[in-house]
Amino acid sequence: MKTVHALIAGSLVASVLGLAQPAVAEEVLRFATWDSDESLAIEQAIARKFEEAHPGVKVQVEAYGGDGYDQKLAAGFGAGNPPDVMYMWNFPQYKTSLMPLDDLITRDAAALDLKDFPEGLMNASRIDGKTYGMPAGFTTHVVFYNRDMFAKAGVEEPKAGWTWDDLRAKAGKFRNEAEKTYGFAVDAKPDPYDFEQFLWSNGTRYISDDGKTIDGFMNSREAAEVLDMFGDMAKRQEAVTVNVGENTSASALFKSGKIAMLEGAMWNKSGLDESGVKYGVAPLPAFAGKPVQSAISISAMSIAKDTKQADLAWEFVKFYASPEAVAMRTNDLPVRTSVADRKGMTTDPVYKPFFDVLAVSSKERPAFLKNPKWAQIQENLAVAIEAAITEQGNAQAHLDEAVQRSQRFLK
Amino acid sequence: MSHDSRARPRLRISLTPYLFISPWVLGFLLFTLGPLVFSLTMSFYDWPVVGERSFVGFGNYRSMLTEDPMFWESLGITTRFALIYVPFNIVLSFLLALMLHHARFGAGFFRTAFYLPSVISGVALVMIWNWIYSQEYGLLNYMLSFAGVEPVNWLGDKQIAVVAIIIASLWGLGGTMLILLTGLKGIPRELYEAATVSGVPGWAQTVYITIPMLGPMLVFTFITSIISAFQQLTIALLLTKGGPQKATYFFAMYIYDNAFKFYDMGYAAAGSWIMFLFVLALSLLVMRWSAAWSYYEGELKSGGRDA
Amino acid sequence: MRKLLLHSALTLLALLFILPFYWTFLSAVKSTADLYQFPPVFWPSEWHFENFAASWNKLPFNTFLWNSTVVVVLSTIGQVLSSSLVAFGFARFRFPGRDALFILLLATMMIPWDVKMIPLYMEFNYIGWINTLKPLIVPSYFADAFFVFMLRQFIMTVPLEIDEAARMDGASSFDIYWRIHLPLMLPGLILVGTFHFMNAWNDYLGPLIFLNDQSKYTLTLGLALFKNPHDVDITAVAAITTLLCLPPLALFFVAQRYIMDGAVGSAVKG
Repeated sequence: MKTVHALIAGSLVASVLGLAQPAVAEEVLRFATWDSDESLAIEQAIARKFEEAHPGVKVQVEAYGGDGYDQKLAAGFGAGNPPDVMYMWNFPQYKTSLMPLDDLITRDAAALDLKDFPEGLMNASRIDGKTYGMPAGFTTHVVFYNRDMFAKAGVEEPKAGWTWDDLRAKAGKFRNEAEKTYGFAVDAKPDPYDFEQFLWSNGTRYISDDGKTIDGFMNSREAAEVLDMFGDMAKRQEAVTVNVGENTSASALFKSGKIAMLEGAMWNKSGLDESGVKYGVAPLPAFAGKPVQSAISISAMSIAKDTKQADLAWEFVKFYASPEAVAMRTNDLPVRTSVADRKGMTTDPVYKPFFDVLAVSSKERPAFLKNPKWAQIQENLAVAIEAAITEQGNAQAHLDEAVQRSQRFLK
Repeated sequence: MSHDSRARPRLRISLTPYLFISPWVLGFLLFTLGPLVFSLTMSFYDWPVVGERSFVGFGNYRSMLTEDPMFWESLGITTRFALIYVPFNIVLSFLLALMLHHARFGAGFFRTAFYLPSVISGVALVMIWNWIYSQEYGLLNYMLSFAGVEPVNWLGDKQIAVVAIIIASLWGLGGTMLILLTGLKGIPRELYEAATVSGVPGWAQTVYITIPMLGPMLVFTFITSIISAFQQLTIALLLTKGGPQKATYFFAMYIYDNAFKFYDMGYAAAGSWIMFLFVLALSLLVMRWSAAWSYYEGELKSGGRDA
Repeated sequence: MRKLLLHSALTLLALLFILPFYWTFLSAVKSTADLYQFPPVFWPSEWHFENFAASWNKLPFNTFLWNSTVVVVLSTIGQVLSSSLVAFGFARFRFPGRDALFILLLATMMIPWDVKMIPLYMEFNYIGWINTLKPLIVPSYFADAFFVFMLRQFIMTVPLEIDEAARMDGASSFDIYWRIHLPLMLPGLILVGTFHFMNAWNDYLGPLIFLNDQSKYTLTLGLALFKNPHDVDITAVAAITTLLCLPPLALFFVAQRYIMDGAVGSAVKG
């Protein structure tokens, strides 16, 4: 029997020796991001710039790609070993473990120059009057359109002030059964966070501002109208339905010339550039007579409350919000108006629609900030959206059911 | 060990088997027992990822069993899935293994081909199946169109999506097939030769020789198939995300969502324990039932022998 | 005639199993515009073989490959040795508590990963193993229930008389395990090795949770970096997937001969 254990011990020793860790000489700051590919490369470049300015500091950029970010963060926080600095969106869930930044922001107000940040960007990281994150990049939503397809079909390109009726009229002209082309894509499983922009634009919202009522909001007539419209677009073949049966993403279809218009955001842009499609950018269409609003997706930087390097972490976050770093982020939009102006983005036809809609999109607060159980309610809502779009109608009944199934989370 | 003829010190006799299984026992104590106790504790708490934890007794279990429609719905979906997947997985693996067993040439190529899907995983697997099942651009509908079949909405139809998931899961049966094939190769040829000489027909040889001799392996694949059916998560999570309209919302996904979407760790732990006990009971039932029909050459039924 | 039928059926089935893999390969070498051609094209007009090198060089895949190799090789050795020891213990001895322990062993297969994840993370964090490859290797030296169960079933098909004969010749229990059963189990051991190799090679959740720094990442984590919630780099994913499949496939092609040729029955007789 001795041999057996010697054997096991031997293998163990071997495996441990083989993995001897290098000694850590420098100060390491852990920074977790959900970015991947080109965006990740940008994060790493910014981190390197920070290292140059702070000798002896190493920023360990931890990228958890795919769908792993939330799970990884849960494990890290749950076990009391979170990264020092991280991308954050789920403030309601993690706020007790995040460092409130208000005092630091006040202290360094001069250097930060918060007036340079567009209104509304700070709101998403503020809960109960405390700020838990600094915006580092953001995007609003727009409609990309394929200029070659428009030219070939002789359809007039969309322009500011257009409505959903306009979009539908144009979309109908691109349907070609033989080539399997469509004018637009309707997502049966949209991220409900992004989808609320259509409700806002039609004059309603998922949940009351006090976070206590969904009846009459999520299932309001205006909400049902939005869903019925998308369902009807699918029915009349003005749009292909994606994410149900058609798991090919809308952006992939757009890239290969199967759809002429794509509702999207900055996260689509680098892929489109790479594909070589000649595209134009139009603002989100309006519901006739109502003001348009876009969802704003923000990459905010938060600091773990228990970090042992609070000062360094704050330096890093500040650096991320500095004009220098903001200017390096080409995969989303600059959070500083001065940077956007200097780059001429506010007048560039490709970027202008993003900024135009930003200016009118700070009125609503996203639902997840209003109710701690929103994630559960959202599950039922997502089913209703999917059902209404795939059944191409009957939205009211599905939304009513979602409201009824969600009541137990509002007690 | 009582009636061994050779006299040996008792202590050593009783220690040897424990030494053999000691790696696992140690591993269990080090890497499994702790997490297990921890999760059981969690299941009695309202346990968010961060922040205040509060003891709720059986609260999580009660609300899961009485208030949460998703619990029963996902359990139902998973059970229906298992009822189809498990027999198909075993029967198809067995048939495939039999075919390979009798293959004269190219056996290595065929084995590798059937095992191929088990080598691919994760992100790529999703891409592949999305392409196959795509209603408009998919391979499957394209092939069916030659037979004059109208495009099927494989992943978008509530009834069909489960079938699509079952097919995708069965595609990975290479592992099971391999285990059975290895078992088949282990059956002594003499048994078949004797049977052939005595005029036993081929099908009867399969029923009376192959299946009983393969018993231990069949039991193994049966139980591990049940377990994997109930832990089914990756394919559905990536392919249908539980849809359309929760039609493929498996129990494992329900637990996953509670943990990583709703951050309700206590509730997720309670769900895991319910599933754990359920699958364990099922497996023990299979073990007991199988003891009646499978043939164990080396089984230590009668009093046992020591080593 | 029957043989012909059998082989035709096998060939047809094999094509069915290979086709998706071939498509992955095609996606890697197609141009973006060709990706969604309909009807599907099985022989593209342009072949972009440079996509493989380009995708590999997008991220430090050499580092990822090294890490994966370390994990896979070291953990496979551990898994094969420890699981066969434990399986022998359960299959060939009768001892107080054996059945209870075996049921416990079976039960450990049924524990969902979600439950174990956070406690395990805490434990590895406590002993300072987070962001090292150790959590992915060391547990393999403590036997996995699936493999123990599988090998136990293997051992059970071997006649007890063989053990007894050896014991008559004065062999110790360990001798019987080492000299008789290990060679007899060889197909099973290779099976365990293959399965474990594949699991470790393709494992995503373990590395995701236990590793932080890109210099420690394994191949699957690197692959996942081509995907974010809004977009997938299809060409890169397909290219890397194709490359990732090759080592296990080659290994399997070699291993399967040994699995089949050294099968239990013939070895017993020989």
